[in-house]
Amino acid sequence: MHIPDGILPLPVTLGGYAVSITICWLCIRSINNRQDPRADVPKAALLTSAFFVASLIHIPIPPTSAHLVLNGLLGALLGVFAFPAILIGLFLQAVMFGHGGLTTLGVNGMILGLPALAAAGVFHCRSRGIMGPPSPKRTTVFGFLAGFSGIVLSVLLFALILLTSLPAHLSAAAERSAILALGLAHMPLAVMEGLLTGLLAGFLLRVQPAILEGV
Amino acid sequence: MSQTTSPAIALNELCFSYPDKPHVLDHLDLHIAPGERVGLIGPNGAGKTTLFLLISGILKPTSGKILVHDKNVVSGTFNPQVTLVFQKSDDQLFCPSVWEDVAFGPRSMGLSEDQVARRVQNVLTIVGAQELAQRPVHHLSEGEKRIVAIAGALAMHPQVMIYDEPSAGLDIRTRRRLIGLLKQSDQTLLIASHDLELVLEVCTRVVLLDQGRIVADGPTKTILNDEDLMIAHGQEKPHSLIPHALPHNH
Amino acid sequence: MIAHSATDSPAAPFVHRWDPRMKLIGLLLLAFTFSFVTNPRVLPVMIALTLVVVAVSRYPLNLLLRRLRYPSLVILGLIALLPFISGFTPLVEWGGLTITREGLQAAILVATRFFCIVTLAAVLLGTTPLLRTITAMQALGLPSIMADMTLLVIRYLEVLSADLRRMRIAMRLRGHAEQRRPWRNLPTLAWLTGSLILRGYERSQGVYNAMRLRGYGHAPIRQSEFTANRKDLLALAGICALSGILIWLELAL
Repeated sequence: MHIPDGILPLPVTLGGYAVSITICWLCIRSINNRQDPRADVPKAALLTSAFFVASLIHIPIPPTSAHLVLNGLLGALLGVFAFPAILIGLFLQAVMFGHGGLTTLGVNGMILGLPALAAAGVFHCRSRGIMGPPSPKRTTVFGFLAGFSGIVLSVLLFALILLTSLPAHLSAAAERSAILALGLAHMPLAVMEGLLTGLLAGFLLRVQPAILEGV
Repeated sequence: MSQTTSPAIALNELCFSYPDKPHVLDHLDLHIAPGERVGLIGPNGAGKTTLFLLISGILKPTSGKILVHDKNVVSGTFNPQVTLVFQKSDDQLFCPSVWEDVAFGPRSMGLSEDQVARRVQNVLTIVGAQELAQRPVHHLSEGEKRIVAIAGALAMHPQVMIYDEPSAGLDIRTRRRLIGLLKQSDQTLLIASHDLELVLEVCTRVVLLDQGRIVADGPTKTILNDEDLMIAHGQEKPHSLIPHALPHNH
Repeated sequence: MIAHSATDSPAAPFVHRWDPRMKLIGLLLLAFTFSFVTNPRVLPVMIALTLVVVAVSRYPLNLLLRRLRYPSLVILGLIALLPFISGFTPLVEWGGLTITREGLQAAILVATRFFCIVTLAAVLLGTTPLLRTITAMQALGLPSIMADMTLLVIRYLEVLSADLRRMRIAMRLRGHAEQRRPWRNLPTLAWLTGSLILRGYERSQGVYNAMRLRGYGHAPIRQSEFTANRKDLLALAGICALSGILIWLELAL
């Protein structure tokens, strides 16, 4: 779900940069307001590395195969660090492998980063309320929701941005059906990532619950 | 302990517990003179690494005192006098290139870029790793990583150097090189190792730690030669201390 | 690519020695100007400009082609669709498929912009070691938290991918076979990803200790190590002028 260079018109790419930089700045500011802003940097960075490596794993989804996106899980575990982490990941992908794009860095940051923040919100709901400390079952369920919503929201943003800014005009009906097709095509991936994130959250709760408390 | 020179490291009634693990260290008293080379031996989980993190100010004692050159170690502050060479070099070398990594400590101490460059050059020459300076850390072999980690610690010109399992995972040649480096260093050394032959060669004094207590403290040969003591605490008398009077095939 | 390389020597082409800050600004300026172009008559100018940069930098061609291979696949898939799904003036009708003029134009436009931007980025970023680019970004105002994170991510990328490789080998040695049906793989995959995350998390504690021991956060703010001489500034001015010309052509032609 990367938009490459060259497709989007200037106002969209610049707008993407403006939005991404603003959100990133807000995240960094909230990190800097902590008692010791540097204390969590190694943790966030090492988790970002792990996510980067994990996203290179292929998963077969017949008839094709897909890469893990993991932005829902990333949001759930990294919280406010998720957005900067995604920008760093996208930048390194663009520079080291030529994936993604340079002018579209901002837009791609929005596509993956905003759903990650939303997923963070979803996941943290698991420990809200009067039900006491989160049970394994609730953790798995909210993990699923975080992973699933991460992908679904990303696909929606991707489709919206791409289709509204293609250089040639499409009819409204074609646009709607294209969004629908894209959404349906990504459903298996969204379900897979949801299940994966749910299982993973349960696994982490069992072996190292401190990770789930966020960075 | 003589009264004229103050100890390099002094532990008084030092206790430490983790929230989920009480009495990791239990009333330790230890005095190490400047320039002494002390080996710390003991089974896994005896509390060696915890002790090191306490002396270097990463952890805070539950009770008791730690003095390094008569100054109280305040946890959480930057104290370049004491450095620790980690067991896992990959954790210690956190910068992408060798030069940057060795320069990190001196830069944190506020030295000018010129001074930093001179120090980096200097320590890389001492450990014999000049040719690695511009290499990315992930291309180094395990042995090279350990040598660079030592350079990064030396670059801060510490008075006390602590080594956690320095020879673990090294090949024979690098281990020999390491022993040479340890023997020629003029800092106070505290070395934790399961490599008892290394301890025998480098250290003049040995402290045996088990279950958070010091169970023996004395000259290296005396302690390592005490077969009953060694076996009681999960150790082994080093082979080179077994008299080779009779012909035998090993 | 990561550490300092021989490209710093004075004999190297200017593009290699150009102040990385100026180079970054120049690259972004050109890339955004390229994405502003919609006029088909400006495309040849854009292509010429890109080729000149490649020639001047003496960037190895085979390296460039290798770097373009993967991105090309992505973009070709995308633009191959355009002539069919968009536009209204039929150009060729063949079977049930119609290629429209607008769609074809759009495809050519997108492809040209894409290749020009990706080539420029590969050449300009590829002639500065990555670490220097990040230091330059910091000098241009990247927050230190982001710079520190980026450097740590780069450093531990290899360590963690080696971990992953070992874990997969260990799995295979104990008889794990990747299933054709993905849901069968899912628990293993979750465990694998989870272990990777755990390793990163546990390692981060050691890394943080090592950083504190060597005074992380105590270094005084360093003066920027970059100094732009007249040549550096002139080169940037040249890029600005070229962008200006492109914009003017786009509007005037």
